[in-house]
Amino acid sequence: MEIVNQRSALLSNFEVLTLLREHEREQLAQAKSNFLVKKEQGSSDDANVNQPLEDVPENLRTIEFEASAIQYLSAEYQPIIQQTERSVKKLVRDLSKYDLTKAEKLQIVNLAPTEAVELYVIVEELEDRLEAQMEEILSAVQTSIGSNPSTTEFAAGNDERPSGSGPDPLFLPHEDYVDEEHEVFAEEEMDDPGGFEGDLEMDDDGE
Amino acid sequence: MFILSTLKDTVALLPNTFGLPGEQALIAALNKKYANRVLHDVGLCICVFDLAEAGEGKVRYGDGCLWHKVVFRMVVFRPFPSEVILAKVKSSSEDGIRLTLGFFDDLHIPLPYLPIPSAFDVRERAHFWIPEGGDTPAAELLDTPTENRMYIDQGEIMRVRVETDEFYDDEPGPPKAAEGVQVKRELRRSPYSIICSISEQGLGPTSWWKQAQEEDGMEEG
Repeated sequence: MEIVNQRSALLSNFEVLTLLREHEREQLAQAKSNFLVKKEQGSSDDANVNQPLEDVPENLRTIEFEASAIQYLSAEYQPIIQQTERSVKKLVRDLSKYDLTKAEKLQIVNLAPTEAVELYVIVEELEDRLEAQMEEILSAVQTSIGSNPSTTEFAAGNDERPSGSGPDPLFLPHEDYVDEEHEVFAEEEMDDPGGFEGDLEMDDDGE
Repeated sequence: MFILSTLKDTVALLPNTFGLPGEQALIAALNKKYANRVLHDVGLCICVFDLAEAGEGKVRYGDGCLWHKVVFRMVVFRPFPSEVILAKVKSSSEDGIRLTLGFFDDLHIPLPYLPIPSAFDVRERAHFWIPEGGDTPAAELLDTPTENRMYIDQGEIMRVRVETDEFYDDEPGPPKAAEGVQVKRELRRSPYSIICSISEQGLGPTSWWKQAQEEDGMEEG
């Protein structure tokens, strides 16, 4: 076993939660279909092909479902449950105007600070660097976690963020992947109007 | 707090998985091997993110499995130093506070990283902080009236800053036998532990800072 790249990308909590939820859904679907197959056949002789995936290995089950990576990420005190993919993308785009490091942007997305004191903790030397813009940052965060889908700010552009250095931007590898989950996820979040289908390529306020 | 790591490994697929789509079988085998395990100097593996490359399956002598060389990306839990995360208090003791994230338990706050001044109340089994205490030594703190004390109770959600993380590689060596009696192994250390701090403004239980807008919580140094 070899480690090719120890840190190829940073992930936001939101992305991890989406990934885990999808896994859980697949597992449930798989278990259900296996169960139905078993019922039909009456015995498990022919069901051997499905065996290896039927029993979710225990360690995977522990980390994902029971011991609750999902539970931690979707706990009430976390702002993630109020985030949607679009709001996160928007927040990141808004934050790119300011002089923040990648780590600071990631933390702002993860922690969604709504008060100045929280922002102080995340961003070092806040007064020197960003005094005047602190309020703007806070309100951008507030918008992203509030149920406010209005999108007057960002222009219709693609999602490629202009970052060339080091670990990749947060959302690029994830894009195709979250495709099917949008509709389902959107229903769970109460704020967004309708589905996302058209929005993956063009991110303008087309509604 | 999560990163993607790219790993390369060789995976054996058992014959009973040959009917499944290859990608699915490979991901399942990888998850079985890595999920919820700590990789030294990498972090706690959560699950496989995707496969980058997968070679053809080759058969080795000795068993009927197909061996694939795979390059894949894995979601790993590893907060970086000076990251701020939300954690729940699991227990407190004289040495410090222990926190948990549900899926990960080994977060500690040793005494030096508690806000100053603070002390441990033995009766309550909890640490507390005196906001205006200044430099009062610990012994005097225990005499302060309880209303001024800000307690850190079990189960509270806190914002903590990650200071360092430590990996401990626990390889079982040959059993040591001194004078015919086997020496007991020393206490098992966890393979991955994180040291955190709450000594700055804005850190600690979230409830302390929620109404702090009007208060004097802005004196960030």
